[in-house]
Amino acid sequence: MSRHLGGMSIAPKPNSALLIVGHGSTENPDSSTPYFDHADEIRRRHLFSEVHCCFWKEEPSLREAFYLIDAKEVYVVPDFISEGYFTQDVIPRELQLNGPTTEVRGKAFHYCLPVGVHHSMTDLILKRAKEVAPGVDPAATTLIITGHGTGLNQNSTKAIRDQVDRIIAAGAGYAAVMDAYMEEAPFIAEWDQLATTPHVVVVPFFISDGLHSYQDIPVMLGIDSEVGAAASQREVFRQNPHQLRGKTLYYSSAIGTERLLADVILDQIADFDLAHRGI
Amino acid sequence: MSTALKLRDLLRSGIHRIGQIEIQQNLCGYPYVLCHSADAELSKEPAFGGLEIHEGPADARDLSTYASDGTYRFTKGQTNLERGWVVVLDNEEGLRLALDQFYPACVGLFLAQQGGTLEIETLRDKLNRQTGMYRFARSISDTGAQKLVQQVCGPAHQCAKKILWKLDADTPLDDSEASRFNGIPSDLPQSEAIPLLCREACNHFVAECRKAAKAEFEQKNA
Repeated sequence: MSRHLGGMSIAPKPNSALLIVGHGSTENPDSSTPYFDHADEIRRRHLFSEVHCCFWKEEPSLREAFYLIDAKEVYVVPDFISEGYFTQDVIPRELQLNGPTTEVRGKAFHYCLPVGVHHSMTDLILKRAKEVAPGVDPAATTLIITGHGTGLNQNSTKAIRDQVDRIIAAGAGYAAVMDAYMEEAPFIAEWDQLATTPHVVVVPFFISDGLHSYQDIPVMLGIDSEVGAAASQREVFRQNPHQLRGKTLYYSSAIGTERLLADVILDQIADFDLAHRGI
Repeated sequence: MSTALKLRDLLRSGIHRIGQIEIQQNLCGYPYVLCHSADAELSKEPAFGGLEIHEGPADARDLSTYASDGTYRFTKGQTNLERGWVVVLDNEEGLRLALDQFYPACVGLFLAQQGGTLEIETLRDKLNRQTGMYRFARSISDTGAQKLVQQVCGPAHQCAKKILWKLDADTPLDDSEASRFNGIPSDLPQSEAIPLLCREACNHFVAECRKAAKAEFEQKNA
């Protein structure tokens, strides 16, 4: 049995495969790194007979995943930050899923919720916030969780607002906890006006350090004057803290790059078993 | 039988190559050793001829992410795999995992083809499922798509995969070096190499379809 940051435990499933689904990119080499890291972390624990990744915009594709898996039982976990078009339309369509458990090509596919909506993400955000601003007094700090935000999909903003509510309810001691977005109000570009404290910690609620968290948001925060190179070629987060606009800013890498996100994947499987299989 | 054990049997039958990777058995005390095919002779020297040694399958992804000139290998079928390394593996499971990171799903695709269970997806099916900014790709003409295959695919354009798909159920690809390529980027016979199979157009091709479709649209409306 494995234990972790406060989530549930999961018993080994030696006859089941785990399929981690990500978005991926043909342009950004960093986009899929977290998914492979999460897969490696779970493989190390020997909980499943196989652990594979597949992607919408990278190899192997979702439909190629059928040719990766030997096991007759497969847990599919979307490594996405919220429910939305990809988790509700694209992944089910590509894998031919029509409910919590679907029989496809002689295998039982169990379709779990995306990692970002699990309540144990809250622990990861707090862990990341503490790591990025060591020794900084939370009572003098505003914690901002930032995401894309778009009028097209309210689910991604809801996932972030839910985390904000949970952190506030957890009594983590921050002077303020708030959400902010790239493309809708409250805007992350106005972080210094949103926060009234001298210290501000910003945690991007994305799976990977791609265009948004390492290239676009640093410009909006004022860390960079123009969009820079891909994340692995830069060291934005190592330059903390940033003295900007009369405040001390600490900027973290995307929450999905946290290796312990592997635990949240396992939490979603445990929740699935509880909700749909009674185990 | 698992994919890993089927892979072991393939190697016993004489297969020793996939893409640009040479698969060696029982070398320097390791059951399986992978290296770039151009480094195969060097790897047989003591201490693997000074090649950089990576233990286990986990480094396979890093080794296959960038070409030697630092460019991102956006499709894994590209023939610009970096040289200078060996990956040493303890068993078939590790071997299978490493190969799946160098050439995602390619062992499984080949086994499915051999077993008659490989499902192939036409270009139109692939394009018609694109969303967002890639939705426009579906408007590419057949002529434009045929031309693009010859401009983007095949070893002349750094892709070593054998194209299995058609434009649609009734429209095969025009004859060309790209459409004829057998998925083995060397002179090895088919009995010695696992071909890289392209069962669906890759996302790079989809992105190129989008660009070509936009160009067609602009030309039509010019």
